[in-house]
Amino acid sequence: MGIEIKLAFDLLAFISVMVLIVLGLGIIASMMGIFNFAHGEFVLLGAYTVYLFESSGLPGWAGILAAPLVLALIGVVLERLVIRRFYAAPIIAMLGTYAVGLVIREIVRGLLGGHYKSISEPLPGAFTLFGVDFSIWRTVIVLVTACIIALTWAFLARTSLGLQIRGSLENPNLARACGISTSRLYAMTFAFGAALAGLAGALIVPLYQLSADIGTRFLVQAFLSVMLGGVGTFEGPVLGAAVVGGMAAGLPWVVIPVLADPLVFIIALIIVKFRPQGFITQGRL
Amino acid sequence: MTDKMRSFGRRRLLGAGALGAAGWVAGGGGWMLAPKGAFAAEPIRMGIATDITGAIAPSGNANWQVAQFAVEQINKAGGVVGRPIELFLEDTASDPKIAVGNVRKLIQERKVNVVLGGITSAMRQAIKDPIVNRGRTLYIYPQLYEGQECTKSLYCTGPTPAQQCDKLIPYLIKTAGKKRFALPSANYVWPQLLNKYARKVIEANGAEVVFEEYYPLDQAEYSATIGKIRDGKVDCVFNTVIPPGLQPFVKQLYESGFQKNGGVLSCVYYDENLLNYHPAQEMEGLYSCLDYFQSVDDPFSKQLQADYAKKFPDTKYLFTAGSAATGMYRGIKFYEAAVKATNGDLSRDAVSAAMDKAKIENGPGGGAEMVPGKMHCKMNMYIAQCKVDAGKTRYEVIASDKMVDPKEC
Repeated sequence: MGIEIKLAFDLLAFISVMVLIVLGLGIIASMMGIFNFAHGEFVLLGAYTVYLFESSGLPGWAGILAAPLVLALIGVVLERLVIRRFYAAPIIAMLGTYAVGLVIREIVRGLLGGHYKSISEPLPGAFTLFGVDFSIWRTVIVLVTACIIALTWAFLARTSLGLQIRGSLENPNLARACGISTSRLYAMTFAFGAALAGLAGALIVPLYQLSADIGTRFLVQAFLSVMLGGVGTFEGPVLGAAVVGGMAAGLPWVVIPVLADPLVFIIALIIVKFRPQGFITQGRL
Repeated sequence: MTDKMRSFGRRRLLGAGALGAAGWVAGGGGWMLAPKGAFAAEPIRMGIATDITGAIAPSGNANWQVAQFAVEQINKAGGVVGRPIELFLEDTASDPKIAVGNVRKLIQERKVNVVLGGITSAMRQAIKDPIVNRGRTLYIYPQLYEGQECTKSLYCTGPTPAQQCDKLIPYLIKTAGKKRFALPSANYVWPQLLNKYARKVIEANGAEVVFEEYYPLDQAEYSATIGKIRDGKVDCVFNTVIPPGLQPFVKQLYESGFQKNGGVLSCVYYDENLLNYHPAQEMEGLYSCLDYFQSVDDPFSKQLQADYAKKFPDTKYLFTAGSAATGMYRGIKFYEAAVKATNGDLSRDAVSAAMDKAKIENGPGGGAEMVPGKMHCKMNMYIAQCKVDAGKTRYEVIASDKMVDPKEC
């Protein structure tokens, strides 16, 4: 019994990590039509912010709170300088964001001297429930992810700003005619997506180690999640991330681990064959 | 999109690409270190091919610093048979494709007499042909590795599986009392061949391998592995998972209470540098087996560390065994000993013949001697366990063996 609970918890924890990373990517892809290849590096910058705080003697908590703000700022600057020039050409946007990501990644690699850095959890250790040990930090990640999903959904679906963002996505010309500044909204949306990536990086880095490639390892699976869930909705990428994360963590139980990774992709491709628009096609937010 | 905007976008893109490229070029232009002081004779040209940039740059930079350090010591003491050593560096950039071209530069343009370097096995495989076969040059490989490298004129100065397992595994079984082993591993050549040897030693000593499993190098989630460790009642994890997959694995293992319940983690490439990749509590109790630890009680090694610290104060790149730095030092000293024996003859055949019987009195962790005809060397091996004092990790040497046989070739 204990083992099943532990397994379910581990699965849930990894799914939460996946969902955290995919959220920002999904929002930028769905709301702006931009596939942000620098997303992995936004995650990296979030993690790096925590490292900077820790190495200058400030508490890790402050770093985690600061990371989304720092990334929102970087997001706004990047949107103004680079991303906005690509809205009409999504393919070029992929290359452009890839280049931005590459520059960020190599700069951070230089700053770290190529080393891996260990970041300790603000809340280390485990607690025992029903005779099973649960990692406190993984529990925090699960809870925070649930809150972020709820808040983001409420923001996009229930606030007037969210309505404006969705309106600008549906019909930018009409939105402008109604007096909505779409360029300001796009900058905000991009900053919001970047902030989510920064938060994800800050939260997950204690589970892994800080290195320049921390974001790239999740990037391909994150794109797969968005594709699987369906672009253009909020729930789609979240659901896609849950499925991909669940498979990535669960498959090594049944097949040898080196086969698990390719199998995730094969299963995902089969699903996409039958649902080319993703899990959720109807009822955009 | 207007024309003006499009051209701006493209220019920005090119600019970003060029910046990225510049990062690679800056470290890869080749480098030369001429000896100081006046020498009458022509210098010996020594090539160092190591990973100054890329994923394993920390190890490569440690190798390069140790090479400079060892060569400076030799030149200060009057060179080799009156000839100074001149160092030439080429970056292998953690990428065998880039490395081959750069190593050719060492051979063809710099016309070096010997090449030392390469850290990963993939790198050794890629550069040994341009050096040894087409380049007709002596090659010294400094890293601990999976064994079975028996190319002529290629000398290995790091520990082999026999040197790392023959003492450690019986210790884990007989002294630490562990009976059920798990071999979680990264999926490449070193873990595969090391495990093959380790399995033999484990079974010969009356213990059992519960599972041997290979993972993609950057796997991020190990709950299935942890489950198997728990279900199989494993009491010793003999780990060959490497970063970046290693940190999440060690964390999940620690969180599962493996160590708390009496389990033991062992990792044979773990040196002082790598302990810092993890929070201290996760490393407590870890067993490693290497040719040198900084806590080894040997006056020569202690002096070596002090001199290294003087040359590179506060360096990030430590003089440790896991990063091939000790093998690099040993390799340079072996070459010095061989050239002394040939009385300054630098032809490959003459130096090779002398290398075959070469012996060094001192080095990090003690002296070493080549096993004639085997291209590998006997050296002292140490078993150490990680201790934690007030949140700081250190190794405590708990057993050692003199002049362990490499059992290769």
